[in-house]
Amino acid sequence: MISLIKAAVGGLTGICRATGHQGPLHSHLKVLAAGLKTYEVPPDFSDVVLPEKPKLKFMEKVPNLKKAKKEMKNLRDIRGPAQTANSFTTGQYAIVAMGGGYLHWGHIEMIRLTINRKMDSRTTFAVWRINGPYKPITRKGLGQRMGGGKGAIDHYVTPVRYGRLIVEVGGKVELGEVEHILTEVAKKLPFKAKVMSRESLADMQKKQADMEQNNQNPWTFGQIARGNMLGIRKVLSPFDLVNNGRFTGKFHNPGRV
Amino acid sequence: MAATLCVKFLLKPGWLPFTQTVRHGSKAVTRHRRPMHIHKQKLLAVTKYIPPPRGPPPGAYPTQVKRVQEDNPLMLLMKRDLKKVFEDCKMVAVVQNNACNSEDMLMLKHRLYKHGITVKLFPNQVTRSFLRDSVYCNMAPLFIGPTLLFVSKEPKVKEMLKTLRASPQMTLLGASIDNTLLSAQGVVSYSKLPSVTVVQGELVSGLTMLTSNTASMLQRHPTHLSALLQQYVKQQSSSNSAEEAT
Repeated sequence: MISLIKAAVGGLTGICRATGHQGPLHSHLKVLAAGLKTYEVPPDFSDVVLPEKPKLKFMEKVPNLKKAKKEMKNLRDIRGPAQTANSFTTGQYAIVAMGGGYLHWGHIEMIRLTINRKMDSRTTFAVWRINGPYKPITRKGLGQRMGGGKGAIDHYVTPVRYGRLIVEVGGKVELGEVEHILTEVAKKLPFKAKVMSRESLADMQKKQADMEQNNQNPWTFGQIARGNMLGIRKVLSPFDLVNNGRFTGKFHNPGRV
Repeated sequence: MAATLCVKFLLKPGWLPFTQTVRHGSKAVTRHRRPMHIHKQKLLAVTKYIPPPRGPPPGAYPTQVKRVQEDNPLMLLMKRDLKKVFEDCKMVAVVQNNACNSEDMLMLKHRLYKHGITVKLFPNQVTRSFLRDSVYCNMAPLFIGPTLLFVSKEPKVKEMLKTLRASPQMTLLGASIDNTLLSAQGVVSYSKLPSVTVVQGELVSGLTMLTSNTASMLQRHPTHLSALLQQYVKQQSSSNSAEEAT
């Protein structure tokens, strides 16, 4: 079979060569070129510079403090949108938090080990966008009676707000090459998280801005809440005044303006 | 609890019980979504995002602005080929191809090639874009559907028509011969014309016949000539009198 095809192809090329450019068979063969595929031009990575240490750094379990101080719960640090680390710096792709939550040292270690093991460090680099655990969480010992003051510091966590980048990945790679690693990590985080590229993050932000611009509803949350219409402030928190109902606690309500 | 109990015990008949709210500090429960107040739910429902009305789907109407055709390199190459063809060849005939199978096509090509006519195939898109900005722009309506080009450096129309008669799948649409656009009828009548040398010969013979006639007349007998002249004068006078009468 293969030899037959080979013979046929050889014969055709032979005829073409024999008749030359002006021959009648040449233009006949041209018809076959209709199904030829045009390939996309591969992306240009010539201006990408990899850092010296492309892998994720180890993070300390406990911050290096002279005197560890107990803190209050302060749940405000996971509510609402992130004000820092919500845009890309050096990388191309990132895990973006779609809600608030606390990252333990275990989560951080899981991220570090998974990404460092699976990524190709010759072409890819990864950068942390979160700090090591710094917020102390206190616990009382097992079997202890209530009272007797605040318990001892048990562990430290990193608070993360909606929209914060956790890890940035970049280098001479396309999204398809690193997406499976990042989604695997994003699934295991204590809040909803998404893998995004620079373009998709900008796209999301633009979509939100467009929604705010083109809203056809004459009644907006901010206007009603700030005007205290029908005494609605009774059931709203100051937090709602700022965020216009886009968040309930640490959760993000998608599709709201 | 203690506060309310105290209030209950201290109640005297005739007193209105004053309500006392005890705040235990509102906690933002973050493990789960807190049950929302009904008023807040209503507020959220009222202030939902309403998208602007959707326009017609894309492609429902023809675009107002003409799209700028990006130049495919392959297209450019074919365009250059086509330009060369139009420059080099005196005869460019446009033929419609009605489902001619490849075997017949091959036969036709060979038969045409014997007379030095080549069959060329260009995509209509390329042809139209080439014709749009060239002097042959009036040929553009011919290029609809599956079309082929029969090109040759010499206008060999008769041979082409003879070959085309053998293959009924091919329909001649028109041709540009010596930079003249001809219809299918025009091509047929062009083929019936005698060649240039024959026409020139006829012209020369016609011109020479006049002079030879005069010479032969002069060589006739003088009486014959005078009779002819008399006849001519008579005819002239009769026509003049007829004109005067009217």
